[in-house]
Amino acid sequence: MGAYVVRRLLWLIVVLTAISLVTFVIFYVLPSSDPVLLRAGKNPSPEVVQSITHTLGLDRPWYVQYGKYMERLVLHLDLGHSYQNDASVRHLLWDRLPATLALAFGAMVLWLLIGIPLGIFSAMRHRRAGDRAAMGVSLLLISAPVYWLGLVALYVFSKDIGKLPWLEGADTYPTHGTIFTNPGEVVPSLILPWIVLAISFAAIYARFVRGSLVEVMREDYIRTARAKGLPERTVVLKHGMRAAMTPVVTILGLDLGILLGGAILVETVFNVPGIGRLAYDSIQTSDLPMIQGTVLVGAFFIVVLTLVVDLAYAFLDPRVRYR
Amino acid sequence: MRRIARWATVTGTLVALATFGAACGSSDQGSTTASQGTPVDTVAQGVRGGKVTVLAAGDVDFVDPGQTYYAFGYMIDYAVMRPLYSFAPGTLETAQNDLAAGPPVLSDGGRTVTVTLRPDVRYAPPVDRAVTAQDVKYAIERAFSANVPNGYAFNYFSVIEGTPKEPTDGVKPISGLETPDDQTLVFRLKTKESGTLVAALVMPITMPVPPEYAKPFDAENPSTYDQHVAFTGPYMIPNDAKTGKITGRQPGKSIELVRNPNWDAKTDYRPAYLDGITIREGNTDAGVSSRRILQGSGLMQGDNAPPAPTIKQAVQRYPDQLQFVPALGPRYVSLNTSIPPFDDVNVRKAVNAVFDRTAMRLTRGGAIIGDIAWGYLPPGFPGFAESGGLKPPAEFDYLQDPDGDAALAAEYMKKAGFPSGKYTGDAKLLTAAINIAPGSQTAAVAQNQFEKLGFELNFRSLSPETMTTKFCGTPKAKVAICTNVATSADFVDPEALLKPYFYGPAITPSNNANWSELDDPKIDAAMDAASALPPGDERVNAWADVNKQIVGSAAAVPWIWDKTPLIASKDVQSLGNAYLTSWDLSFTSLKP
Amino acid sequence: MNASAETLLDVRDLRVSFATPDGVVQAVDGVSFSVAPGRTLGIVGESGSGKSAAVATVMGLTRGARNVTIAGEVRFGARDLLGAGEEELRRLRGNEIAMVFQDPMSSLHPLFRVGDQLVEAVRAHQAIGRRAARIRAQDMLGLAGVPEPGRRMEAYPHELSGGLRQRVMIAMALVNEPRLLIADEPTTALDVTVQAQILELLARLRDELGMAMVLVTHDLGVVAQVADDVAVMYAGRIVETGPGRPLFLLPQHPYTWGLLRSMPRLDGPRDAWPVPIAGRPPSPIAPPSGCRFHPRCPYALAQCSAIDPVLQPAGDGTQRAACILPAPVRQAARP
Repeated sequence: MGAYVVRRLLWLIVVLTAISLVTFVIFYVLPSSDPVLLRAGKNPSPEVVQSITHTLGLDRPWYVQYGKYMERLVLHLDLGHSYQNDASVRHLLWDRLPATLALAFGAMVLWLLIGIPLGIFSAMRHRRAGDRAAMGVSLLLISAPVYWLGLVALYVFSKDIGKLPWLEGADTYPTHGTIFTNPGEVVPSLILPWIVLAISFAAIYARFVRGSLVEVMREDYIRTARAKGLPERTVVLKHGMRAAMTPVVTILGLDLGILLGGAILVETVFNVPGIGRLAYDSIQTSDLPMIQGTVLVGAFFIVVLTLVVDLAYAFLDPRVRYR
Repeated sequence: MRRIARWATVTGTLVALATFGAACGSSDQGSTTASQGTPVDTVAQGVRGGKVTVLAAGDVDFVDPGQTYYAFGYMIDYAVMRPLYSFAPGTLETAQNDLAAGPPVLSDGGRTVTVTLRPDVRYAPPVDRAVTAQDVKYAIERAFSANVPNGYAFNYFSVIEGTPKEPTDGVKPISGLETPDDQTLVFRLKTKESGTLVAALVMPITMPVPPEYAKPFDAENPSTYDQHVAFTGPYMIPNDAKTGKITGRQPGKSIELVRNPNWDAKTDYRPAYLDGITIREGNTDAGVSSRRILQGSGLMQGDNAPPAPTIKQAVQRYPDQLQFVPALGPRYVSLNTSIPPFDDVNVRKAVNAVFDRTAMRLTRGGAIIGDIAWGYLPPGFPGFAESGGLKPPAEFDYLQDPDGDAALAAEYMKKAGFPSGKYTGDAKLLTAAINIAPGSQTAAVAQNQFEKLGFELNFRSLSPETMTTKFCGTPKAKVAICTNVATSADFVDPEALLKPYFYGPAITPSNNANWSELDDPKIDAAMDAASALPPGDERVNAWADVNKQIVGSAAAVPWIWDKTPLIASKDVQSLGNAYLTSWDLSFTSLKP
Repeated sequence: MNASAETLLDVRDLRVSFATPDGVVQAVDGVSFSVAPGRTLGIVGESGSGKSAAVATVMGLTRGARNVTIAGEVRFGARDLLGAGEEELRRLRGNEIAMVFQDPMSSLHPLFRVGDQLVEAVRAHQAIGRRAARIRAQDMLGLAGVPEPGRRMEAYPHELSGGLRQRVMIAMALVNEPRLLIADEPTTALDVTVQAQILELLARLRDELGMAMVLVTHDLGVVAQVADDVAVMYAGRIVETGPGRPLFLLPQHPYTWGLLRSMPRLDGPRDAWPVPIAGRPPSPIAPPSGCRFHPRCPYALAQCSAIDPVLQPAGDGTQRAACILPAPVRQAARP
């Protein structure tokens, strides 16, 4: 098992390197706009353009630039300097991480609390009215675009512009502190974003749990559990769910990995200063080092969480063993 | 000698009358005549104290005055730093003396410009000393270095003697800038063409930078002064009391403004009512943020204009919370005069004639959002009235009807050699348009206009940056039509709106701004002559004439002089600043 | 096989049907049998004969199925099982009536340790502490012939061989000393050599615990070893019943003859091949008219397609068969 983990970690490095190279080439070969001009301003004189190009090192061939980038990264863990924000990429990423962590984990807790019971409810009322209603609603919620849901949530519930002003609205994340250091201000500002983000996921998980549980309940060992004389609740929640949850855990890890790279839409509509919004801002301004940084962070989380999920799977299902 | 002296005095007076405000300090600003909303007399009713939050989508580009160039940066920077001259809200006709004690004085046939500084303006801590002329000299010198890439220094200030041809490695002294004493700054120019330079003295490049404090930061490349800026305005961004490192700014998130303890109200025309301002960034959804501003309290708009439906709603339901400031330039559709059939002036006139400019204006919000344009100098700008004002002169028959005149257009096409009155050639005209609203909608309407004349367009929908850098700004791309051109003057002189965009020699192989590729020797000569004139009525009239000549060449289709809508909460009162094209933070207060 | 005060399980005219989109499936169509305490009944039939459905219904395990209709009478001692509430049935299951299923690999929960599953079975019905339950479970494993039971308690099902797994299942079923054990194809999924061991185990435990057993299988050989009484099912019905020995020596129904002929026999002539029964089992939705077996019966008469026979006394009086063939014909025809 140990050798397996080591192999996977090495693979993580390979993946990140490949991703950094691809991102680099994309933004070099197909740039959507010129970061030099964004820095130089409108109608800059050609001398200034050249000067900035040289300062940023953009007049070197792409592989030289990439080489320098990797050198800084590997030797100094330096992810470069953001053109737009005039700050170190690493510092900015670190600064934005708490908001994204809070958003992702909070939403995850909420969507599991909603989705799993709903899925179980649906599975146990398989094909009857309750199931159809629950799955119908969840289909609607999955189809609703997250950004639109966010706007609707704001226009209904936000304290400043909503019809039912019960919750903190957009742009209420405090300027200082994180969920750990300043929970009094951070938590209220995240309730609506959590709900919006959780709703779409809860619907997906409800459907998924339902499907998985319906399958599991058909298995022979469920019949055995009933034949043993166990109460139906135990049969469903202990025997059934234990088996039904393993695929859910896999998906959960993946979803979490993606969210940790930044829930761009939710962060943008609610103005939560996380990695997602940072990615959005940096794409708008063609801030290549920053884009690289956010892409790498996203990739890192996905790969790490995939590994965590695989290890968890081995832990959850004793039939699976890695060598 | 005497003649020159008299001329100097005369010139000096002309300068004073035409462009620069006579009074300094807080004399009557009077009320602003916004085109919508109640006139606000903030001096009389302004309440001292309180805080306001500005909702912005993006971040400032830079706080460093040598580097900042975008409108949103200006909104902040002009509240925390003071250039030699600046504009108070409400007018573009006269600039205020800011750091300067009086208007610039020309001498030596215009080859020397002398500015006298006030002695009593102080930097905020930690620099904590009086501003001197050396500081402004250094500020200009550093803008020519590679460490502080300044986009416009070379364009407007190269006329100073001793300025380098390309960005220097490190800050080097400029021989043409002299400081005989702490309060006097002398510009020695290579030529007599002082007009541009003088008008450009309102730009951030003249905000003072203390050399002894800034040198270590400017030694880095890129300079780190942006994180250690020294403040002279009524407000400042909180910084470390020892090192000067800015602490009140979180890139991409927020900026805090607090009162500058060393700012003396008696030295400034700005009232600066508020005790503090918070800028919150990342509010990219204009629909949400404008609603929050209109329905909430203590909020005002930053860089994100409300969408057209919100403007309409504001006009009806929140008229007291809405003001308009005129944009610093027109919007137009450029026609590439080097690509057939637009190389024929009659074809261009036909296009102008057929264009339904009212329909174009509707895409941005209709009549409330601006006036139908016929020229390139907007209302309130010097040269606008001199060109003829709101109504196009009679000689421009192709611009008389804002809804378009199909019959006239057909006639011009016939003159161009298309007897049917429509284009019958087989050229597919490469058209670059913006892909985001409302520009995308405007581009769609523009396309219709061309098709009315039988043109076939190769229509490309692009992001603003791509459109600017890879298509319209690159002559090699051979773009025939650019539908979403909007110019904005860097300073308040007609040259800023005409020369970069219609001057033959201004055409460059990359980052070109003259998208019409207009290269008319007659017009070029007229521009050279107007450029050479010193500031004053003669200069303005000369440029007004150039304006009319450009309209006569029909090199583009101007369609709107639009206004920027500004909204604020009901308990906030403020004045829109036409130069900043935003609310003026130094003229903002809570309602009593 | 008369209903007497001694009867432990008494099933009368049990009918179980499922409504499907294709039609009503009559899985069990009027089945009656009874088991006395300590006796073993073997129920034999092909797949689809309804035997599994019948015994599952006895335990109440078909109640939750979709669109199921159950009719008839099932009595366990004095209790009416069909009319009993779910909670009452639950208390009986795994406690007084236990069941062992066919495939121990899929019938044991793959994610719980064997020991934990056993303990769970104990504590579902006995209010004893963890420790005591573990001891009990371990003991039962030993009794079921599992070597090193203490170690095996910690194993997961997939770590055990097929035979061991089935022993675990049996241990789990018997851990609360039920009065009746229902074993549905307990050896079908196992190797032949293991089969014999398991059957032997079942017999031994039955004797040690004094319990009754219903053994459901398609394999006559299995029944021959263990059952006291046999019931042969076909197409949802019982077509022949009787004590084991007479049934094997003197079977009375053509289907039973077919089954016996299709079995390989050690004591037959060397070159005698097993003869399969021609044809295929009937559709449970649209069974043949008259006698359900008649399309495949080599001895069918014309009336067999019109008359639906009921169980009649046959053979030596302890047997019954549902066939209208006259006795002499049956005598001559049987193998």
